[in-house]
Amino acid sequence: MSAAATAGTYSPASAAGEKRRERKEELRRHLAEDADWPRADGRSFHDCRPAFMQTGPTTAASGSAYAEFGKTKVIVSVFGPRESKKAMLYSDTGRLNCNVSYTTFATPIRGQGTDNKEYSAMLHKALEGAVMLHTFPKTTVDVFALVLESGGSDLPIIISCASLALADAGIMMYDLVTSVSVSCFGKNIIIDPTSDEEAWQDGSLMVAYMPARKEITQLTLTGEWSDGKITNAVELCMDACSKLCDILRERLKDASSLAE
Amino acid sequence: MAATAMDHDGGEVVTPGELLGNSSLLAGLGAYADGRCVRASITGHRRLVPPPPGSTDQRSTVEVVGHKAHGAVPQPGSVVIARVTKVMARMASADIMCVDSKAVKEKFTGMIRQQDVRATEIDKVDMFQSYRPGDIVRALVLSLGDARAYYLSTAQNELGVVSAQSITGGTLVPISWTEMQCELTGQIEQRKVAKVE
Repeated sequence: MSAAATAGTYSPASAAGEKRRERKEELRRHLAEDADWPRADGRSFHDCRPAFMQTGPTTAASGSAYAEFGKTKVIVSVFGPRESKKAMLYSDTGRLNCNVSYTTFATPIRGQGTDNKEYSAMLHKALEGAVMLHTFPKTTVDVFALVLESGGSDLPIIISCASLALADAGIMMYDLVTSVSVSCFGKNIIIDPTSDEEAWQDGSLMVAYMPARKEITQLTLTGEWSDGKITNAVELCMDACSKLCDILRERLKDASSLAE
Repeated sequence: MAATAMDHDGGEVVTPGELLGNSSLLAGLGAYADGRCVRASITGHRRLVPPPPGSTDQRSTVEVVGHKAHGAVPQPGSVVIARVTKVMARMASADIMCVDSKAVKEKFTGMIRQQDVRATEIDKVDMFQSYRPGDIVRALVLSLGDARAYYLSTAQNELGVVSAQSITGGTLVPISWTEMQCELTGQIEQRKVAKVE
C-alpha cells in the first residue's frame, strides 16, 4: 500500500566534467579556510539534504520503503516472518537477516552490482537492537536493501529506510531507528555529507539512534577526532535523528490513515 | 471474557516507540512496558480496553490495533489448515497454509506424529490409513517443535482430514470418522476424518 507523496525532492542539475572539476577545486580551497562557507549544494554546515520517504513501493514484500536524500536513492524490502532455512538450528527467538546491495548503475563508475557485506553487517547491528525478536520465534525476517544511486551517506539512509520498512511490515519494534552521519574537516563538522565531501573528509562518524527511548544502537567512527569534537558530533547526530524520526512517523501515519 | 473497546472509531494513530501512557495502564497487544511507561511496538490505532468486571487489577489495558499486521505465523494453540506432503510410518509431513482464518504468505512445515493422530487407541494408529499425500487437514499446533517443523495434532473430533481425493481422482465424501467414500467409484478409503460442523 503506497502513501501519497507530499514534498518533492530537489535534484541538482547534472554537472559537466568541467563544472565538477571547478567544484572540487573550490571545495579544496574552502577546506583550507576555517570558516562557515556554503557547501557545493548550497547547504550550511548543519543542514541535511532534502528527504523524501515513501512506504509500500514493493507490493510483493510484507513491507517496503523508498528513500531519497539528495542524490542517494535507496529501496528496502522486508519479507517475513517466514520459515527459516532447514540448515539453521532451532532458535527460541526470531532471526533478522540483512542484505545490502548496489545496482550496477549506482555509482559514477559502473560496477558489478556487488553485495556489500560490511554494510549488511552494520545494518543488522543497527536494527537488531530495535526489533522484538522474541515475538516471532523460530522464524526469520529478511531485509533487502538496494541502493539505486549512491550520492554519499548511503548507510545512514539505508538504516532509516529499513526501519521504516520494518514498521510498514508490522514487525514489532521497540522504536524506530534513524541514522545520520557527519564528516570532519579540520575544525569543522558538516552533517549528511555528499560523495564529494566524503572523499575529502578527515574523519566520519555515524550514529544509529532510537529517539523515543534515547538509545544508540550503533556508533561508527573513522579517522581522526578529538574528544570534545566527538561529543559535539554525537549530539548533533542525535538531534538530527530525532527530527528525521518525526518525518518517519508522519509517513507511517499517512500510510496508516489511508489504509482505513 | 472479552471487553468491548471504549473507542469504537479507533483512537489516534501511533508508531513504534511512541508513548501510550504510564504505569497506570497495562500493556496489551502491540504495546510493551518500558520501565514506568507503556510504548507502542507497531503502527496502528491506540485503543483503551476497560478492565474486566470483578478482576483484582483495576487498570485499563492499552493496545494498538495494527493496520497491516505481518503475515500469519503459527503459534502454539492455533488451529491451522495444512496440506499433507509426505506420509511415513511414524509421522506425516504437512505444509501449513492457513493459521486460524488467515492465509500465510509463505508456507511453514508442520509434522503430525503417530501419537498425535487420535485420542483413542494411540498404539494402534496406522499412518497410512489416516492420511494420504495431498489431503487437506485441520490441525492444532501443539508446540513450536524442532528446527524442521511445528508439531501438529489432530487428536480431537473437529480435527482431521477435511478434504481429500481418492486414488482414482474423485472427491472423497466423509461417511464416518474413519472412512471416506469416493463420489465416482464408491470406493471406501480410510482417513482420520474431521467432524463436520
